Amino acid sequence: MQAPRTLLLTTIGLLLGALSGLADERAAEEGAAAPGSAQQRAFYNEQVLPILEQHCFKCHGGRASKGGLRLTSQENIRRGGDTGPAVSHDDPADSLLLRAINYEDYEMPPSGKLPAAQIAILARWVRSRLAGAPRQATDPEPDEEHGPPPVNETTRQFWSFQPVERPAVPTPQREAWVRNPIDAFIVKRLETNHLSPAPPADKTALLRRATYDLTGLPPTPAEVAAFLADDSPAAFERVVDRLLESPHYGERWARHWLDLVRYAETNSYERDGAKPFVWRYRDYVIRSFNEDKPYDQFVREQLAGDELPEATSDAIIATGYYRLGIWQDEPVDPVQEVFEDIDDLVRTTGEVFLGLTVGCARCHDHKLDPVPQRDYYRLAAFFRNVRRYGVRGADSVAASSLVEIGTPEQRQRHAEQVARYEAELQSANGRIEPIEARVEADLKGVENDEWKHAKRRPEFVKKRIGSLITQQEFDDYAKSLEHRAELRRNKPPGLEQALCVKEHGRTSPPTHVLVRGNAHAQGEEVAPGFPSVLSPPAPDIRRPAEGIGSTGRRRALAEWIASAENPLTARVMVNRLWHYHFGRGLVRSTSDLGFQGTPPTHPELLDWLASELVAGEWKIKRMHKLMMLSNTYQMSSQANAAALEKDPLNQLFWRFDMRRLSAEEIRDSLLAVNGSLSLDRMFGPSFYPIMPPEVLAGQSRPGAGWGKSSAEERARRSIYIHVKRSLAVPMIASFDGPESDASCPVRFNTTQPTQALGMLNSRFVMEQAAVFADYLQQQAGDDLTAQITVALRRVTQREPTQEEIRRGVTLVQTMQKAHDVSAPQALQYFCLTALNLNEFVYLD
Amino acid sequence: MATNPSRPNFCGRTRREFLWQAGGGFTGVALSALLGQDGFLARQSVAADGVTEWRNPLAAKPPHFAPKAKNVIFLYMYGGPSHIDTFDRKPKMTGMDNKTVSVKTFGRGGHRNQGRIVEPRWKFKQYGECGKWVSDLFPHLATCVDDIAFVHSMTADSPIHGSAMLMMNSGKILSGSPCMGSWINYGLGTVNENLPGFVVMLDPRGGPISGAKNWSSGYMPATYQATVMRSSGTPILDLAPSGGLTRPMQRRLLDALRDYNEEHLASRGDNHDLAARIASYELAYKMQSAAPEAVDLSQETAQTKALYGLDDPTAGPFARQCLLARRLVERGVRFVQLYSGGNHNDANWDAHGDLKANHDLHAAETDQPIAGLLKDLKDRGMLDETLIVWGGEFGRQPTAEYAKGTGRDHNAYGFTMWLAGGGIKGGVSYGKTDELGAAAVENRLHVRNLHATILQQMGLDPNALSYFHNGLDQKLVGVEGADPIHEIIA
Repeated sequence: MQAPRTLLLTTIGLLLGALSGLADERAAEEGAAAPGSAQQRAFYNEQVLPILEQHCFKCHGGRASKGGLRLTSQENIRRGGDTGPAVSHDDPADSLLLRAINYEDYEMPPSGKLPAAQIAILARWVRSRLAGAPRQATDPEPDEEHGPPPVNETTRQFWSFQPVERPAVPTPQREAWVRNPIDAFIVKRLETNHLSPAPPADKTALLRRATYDLTGLPPTPAEVAAFLADDSPAAFERVVDRLLESPHYGERWARHWLDLVRYAETNSYERDGAKPFVWRYRDYVIRSFNEDKPYDQFVREQLAGDELPEATSDAIIATGYYRLGIWQDEPVDPVQEVFEDIDDLVRTTGEVFLGLTVGCARCHDHKLDPVPQRDYYRLAAFFRNVRRYGVRGADSVAASSLVEIGTPEQRQRHAEQVARYEAELQSANGRIEPIEARVEADLKGVENDEWKHAKRRPEFVKKRIGSLITQQEFDDYAKSLEHRAELRRNKPPGLEQALCVKEHGRTSPPTHVLVRGNAHAQGEEVAPGFPSVLSPPAPDIRRPAEGIGSTGRRRALAEWIASAENPLTARVMVNRLWHYHFGRGLVRSTSDLGFQGTPPTHPELLDWLASELVAGEWKIKRMHKLMMLSNTYQMSSQANAAALEKDPLNQLFWRFDMRRLSAEEIRDSLLAVNGSLSLDRMFGPSFYPIMPPEVLAGQSRPGAGWGKSSAEERARRSIYIHVKRSLAVPMIASFDGPESDASCPVRFNTTQPTQALGMLNSRFVMEQAAVFADYLQQQAGDDLTAQITVALRRVTQREPTQEEIRRGVTLVQTMQKAHDVSAPQALQYFCLTALNLNEFVYLD
Repeated sequence: MATNPSRPNFCGRTRREFLWQAGGGFTGVALSALLGQDGFLARQSVAADGVTEWRNPLAAKPPHFAPKAKNVIFLYMYGGPSHIDTFDRKPKMTGMDNKTVSVKTFGRGGHRNQGRIVEPRWKFKQYGECGKWVSDLFPHLATCVDDIAFVHSMTADSPIHGSAMLMMNSGKILSGSPCMGSWINYGLGTVNENLPGFVVMLDPRGGPISGAKNWSSGYMPATYQATVMRSSGTPILDLAPSGGLTRPMQRRLLDALRDYNEEHLASRGDNHDLAARIASYELAYKMQSAAPEAVDLSQETAQTKALYGLDDPTAGPFARQCLLARRLVERGVRFVQLYSGGNHNDANWDAHGDLKANHDLHAAETDQPIAGLLKDLKDRGMLDETLIVWGGEFGRQPTAEYAKGTGRDHNAYGFTMWLAGGGIKGGVSYGKTDELGAAAVENRLHVRNLHATILQQMGLDPNALSYFHNGLDQKLVGVEGADPIHEIIA
């Protein structure tokens, strides 16, 4: 949550300075303490109370205690609110309450300053030490039940705050069904509930499920054929091994992680500028998954890669984690904005790595979890010294967030690449320029003006074939132009730089609890520390090696999160793995394992998996294999009436849940099935899909910040699409792509007509249908039945039925006959139909 | 709308289970008081084909209490119109032009403690039974003052466009929260499933800064984000088939698609998402005819067109949008937002340079269209149910931004918005700024109060309408809540 920016208007604040000129009156009224004389009570009841009731009690009376303040009794007023006593006992004339009603610091009531006469009455009352007001509160106390849960022995016992203990694997009756311990946990619960596991999925469904699951892509016809032909018991294991070795595995699973860390490539807000080199972080994540980097290392690198003893380039790039969020370059309140940024880090880190929604404790103790406000700021202290992404007019983004990376060898190689590029460019120019020089000398009339547009030159050159130049010369010229364009598109990547975290130096400024989240209202100073309800050790903060300009605090945080003893880290991660494999976590609220999260459906299984992750040295691929080789994973998605009746939500995993493909999978599949997906172009800067002008029209400068990419670039996988926060690609957005301003642990799964409109009518999908039709022509020649068969096979990855083929043939023929369209066009419309099939976007 | 709370029907599931399934696992489960009303979740309608069970997330939902307004038209004056030159008359400024005075201001130029007065450049006259003073910028609108409630004591948290616009649209100066139209569609759904429930129309010169962030559904599903509608050509992205496909051909295609999908569904009948997807294609098909019909102005009389100033070269574009807005709310679109002004600099109300030229232009573009809209709605008996909101992200300062010239910097300390129709009192003015219009001093209000008023008039309790996200019941009016402006509610 965020701090209200209107604290000045809504809470009574700090006591700063003093009212002068009232000292004499104060002396005169010394000792006039309440409840006071009948006269004083009358003054209070008749003059003071009506003002309080009309203007103050709505927020500061009865049960209402905004800012912790109630004005209903002397005791309450003296105790005051979050920012201290409203009326000073020793010096009532110098009271916060008086400053507030005089609009001298805080402004109360916020709806407008009271008339002078009313202020005078209240001032008189305050200076009389609140004479006449009731001494003790008679207001209802806040309901204890609804107060924030305290950190105590009871709350510390909450399941996810306890150390992971490896549970014994149960022994179910259906021993034969148990292929690995996962199955034992699952089937035991099914037996207790008188349910049976669904039969195994058929092989094509299983292959499709596994291939999308691990790579986000459909299986190829050859892969289908090979799997169907392999009758050995290890056939599926071989498939899983093959998929885990595929470089496209990393592309699929990196996407999950990018959702979590709110990955985007621009800053949002008015300028929504691009983040330089941010794609290196994306590539780092892809490579980390592909290399099967242990999860604890993955955590350490992202949180503190720069502070590790071996700060490799990869580890530096990983700290780009800190730079992925939104950045307000023109803050209304620059001091407050520092803490908005820190809040983003506390919140994201808490949710992603620990499954705790600590962000809620920024302004007050967490209302639902035992996270006191003090704990929030102790956690914030780990990030207190982190420099902002940039400060407009002061610290540039380059100075604050970029660093040159790379070994001397890499620099050498870079220099060579640049030299080679320049040489090739020069050589291309050497072939282009002589021809152009000849033509330039021959230009006539308006051609002279047009010549300055490089794009127009080829047509003027072409016009002179046969007169000034030969066909051969033109062909060479055209080829050289194409070569030069290609070169320019593929410039060697700039000097190796990375987006990274930086700190202000080796000493952090102090961290204070901020009253109601207000950066201008500093409370108690706190030291870095972990959430107390987790019974954590004290942070082991060590100064990093000489030459590293940071405090070592983030490393201490990273080491604690990545330790086997942390009760949450492994649980959170295995639960996420389960969620992505099975469509929902054992805890459905995958970023909230706290009090308000959903309880785990299979707590023992969760703990067993967590201990297994740690025991397997935090390797992820091993966990994938374990989950996918279980019978639980390999069940059919078919319903049976009895089970549906008993457990309609499949809480107990009596079957495998169907799922719709994600936005990226849908786009990638469109390109994959028609043979145009460019799988080889992995990594590097992102590309720009063609954005419909209707969408660009929503920008204040239509087209700004959206480049043009070549057709080859545009055929890359969706993970390489440029993520611009204020300009979502319609297809990705409508199929529930993540909103990247905050962490996205679970994607929505909506069904809406906008999706249908996009899939039916968008130029992109219509073009893909045309490419698909061409592909069918190549694969199946002119035989319509064969074309339809191949199309359905590609889209569903199974053998179509005769009826399905006949239906397609009929559609194509009717289109031709009744609507007088050509055969290729009718085929294109059939392809469009095929790409809209439910079966294309849903997995069994 | 009748529901029977005693018979919750979540297909045998608990409400929480149903929510999980309905959302396919929401990031933020919709656990608002609103969704707690049993009727809503049980509500099912039948898809366009009349057979398929179809739960459109935008299906109409009962309000919290009887609404005064059914629709909102938000006339967004992007850039920040000057309140003291339009509706907030400051007679004490007369004769003060170029005088340097002490006054606290905060705009893009930062905090200042004194400045050179720019006296309002337009004459004010009194209009209507209420005698409201309106400047010569709005001769047409001035004739409608008896239907309008002016709120002169608005304040906002930011005097910087980017964050101030997010605040006016989403209640937060931080990026990432749902906009007002999203909240209303989340709360009420739409009564016309063939049209989007939240429509934005942009100035032909371009969108506002931060673009789509101004109509985003933030942390809510994309279902609730605005659809940008164009006032000419194909109104909605991807509404018309491409690649030479005609409507009869498309029908044939859809029939074949349906056959395939129903066969696929036959053995998977328990999966409601599959049926919903089948139905969504029929709905899309209907939208293809409903949306063009909604924007087809050939059905309007010459008299109506003239009322809005449709043929006026200056007012024409906005007139068209105002008329379209009426047609959309007539057809059940809940929330329509029109942008006057786009792009940068003087293409919107952001009068940093020549105040006169800027406001003369933008007022001339909008005056007659807005007056036409109010009159047309009133003539048709629709004004009672349609809440009109006018204003920008902030107002402007009484002093000059630069040493020379008449340009005014931004002012979030005090500015004017007005509301009309939808159960709002006519002919009233509420709240005051100081003698220079530098800051609100009487009955000060915050953007949240405006939002609360709009929700309230739509039958939604602003302090109960919530959406669970990031560990918190988020609200349009913020966790602290806000009261509607009762004084202007009829």
